[in-house]
Amino acid sequence: MAKGEVGNVFNHEIMPLLAPAVRRVFSRLESHHLLKVEEIRMRSGQPLIIRDWDGEYGLDANTGFTADINRSYRVSREDIIRTIAAISDNSLYAFEEDIKRGFITIAGGHRVGLAGQVVMQEANVKAIKEFSSICLRIAREIKGCAAQVMGSIYAPGDKVKNTLLVSPPRCGKTTLLRDIARSLSSGSGQRKACNVVIVDERSELAGCYLGQPQMEVGPRTDVLDACSKAAGIIMSIRALSPEVIITDELGRREDAVAIRECINAGVSIISSVHAGSMDELVSRPIMSELVEARIFKNIILLSRSKGPGSIEKMIRWD
Amino acid sequence: MAWVKIMGSLMLISAMGVWGLSGAHGIGRRSEELKELRFALAFLEKEISYMHTPLTLALERTAAVCHNPIAGFFQESARKLKAREGLTAGEAWKQGIEWLKAQSHLKAVDLDVLSTAAQQLGMSDSSDQRKFLLMIQEEIKVQEEKARQEQGANQKLWSYGGFIMGIVIVLLLI
Repeated sequence: MAKGEVGNVFNHEIMPLLAPAVRRVFSRLESHHLLKVEEIRMRSGQPLIIRDWDGEYGLDANTGFTADINRSYRVSREDIIRTIAAISDNSLYAFEEDIKRGFITIAGGHRVGLAGQVVMQEANVKAIKEFSSICLRIAREIKGCAAQVMGSIYAPGDKVKNTLLVSPPRCGKTTLLRDIARSLSSGSGQRKACNVVIVDERSELAGCYLGQPQMEVGPRTDVLDACSKAAGIIMSIRALSPEVIITDELGRREDAVAIRECINAGVSIISSVHAGSMDELVSRPIMSELVEARIFKNIILLSRSKGPGSIEKMIRWD
Repeated sequence: MAWVKIMGSLMLISAMGVWGLSGAHGIGRRSEELKELRFALAFLEKEISYMHTPLTLALERTAAVCHNPIAGFFQESARKLKAREGLTAGEAWKQGIEWLKAQSHLKAVDLDVLSTAAQQLGMSDSSDQRKFLLMIQEEIKVQEEKARQEQGANQKLWSYGGFIMGIVIVLLLI
């Protein structure tokens, strides 16, 4: 993605959502500074913190980036309220279901995590009110980043291999999965295109806003937004005749059951999981069962050693 | 010269009469506007609580189903929100009320009821939104009843009063 384009994403999709006072602090930065921003954290009464590829910074109203976060702009309660008002288009009622999950996905597919006073109804979260902090994660689309792994994903005969991406958080799993979905769905000269279903439990892969994918996920892709992985996998096999199902962050017992079901139905699965290494991966009982059963024919370990999305290792069982 | 006097008298009486009638009409307007406002709030409540329509669009749709000046009030609030200048719904609502103050026959007490919505508008879940919008509709209804009672007596006074004043002035002048 071109530099200017990323700056534009920030200026068009993020800036209008920030409280005017916070926006003024950001407006002093030049767009190439905004290029790498991954996360903006606003906590009532605390310094504004920005996280990018390399680490975290404060943002001084006069001098711009500062490593000493105590010099950073102090976020007020009003900033939080105004930001949430702008993010929800002054319509929190339209985001009830999102707020119950703790975050709102906004136009552009960016994710806004919320904290505050949680209202419970029996064992479930009913609402969050009296907001105290906001964590804004900027979604990145890096088209073509899957090119380096696509070769390992296709088996002979253009069948798609069951693939698992493994890495700690913030190493580019989601970005890579999204590009894999787009590549499979679009096909290329020699490769057959596939029907893809994205089961997007946390609205991160397709970044749906009001049900519509905000990211480019390809012409043969259906998205089940905010749907649990287990329910979504079973539902899509019945209803959407996918050749590949793509989903994020496995971990629960029911996910493993659904994946076996999916493979038995002849549908390939591509997914990801949080783990720093193969050892960490197999130390988790559910994942070790899946790995030992050789469900995944292709395991790709990612890291940030050369920036997000660096491929550390590929393990193939075929 | 008698016909000049007669013409002059008639013109004076009819001018005063028209003034009186328009005054009577103004009194009637307040209760009509309150009724229109109450219907509009009911529409907005349904847009919010059942349809979950985002507020800016909900305000625009509400504007589309009613007449001026109430339509203008919703349109104005929506326009302020659409500008995305960091205004909250409450602030846009209050600016809409300022507009309404200048354009309508509503009294300060009516506008006060309307401005109580500013604090909560948009910023809670749909069942909460429904509750407070229903409450405001109830309060507007009370104002509407009051307006209608006042209207009964005053409207007659104004509509006859104009003509009677006209006749009195003519008699005094002759």
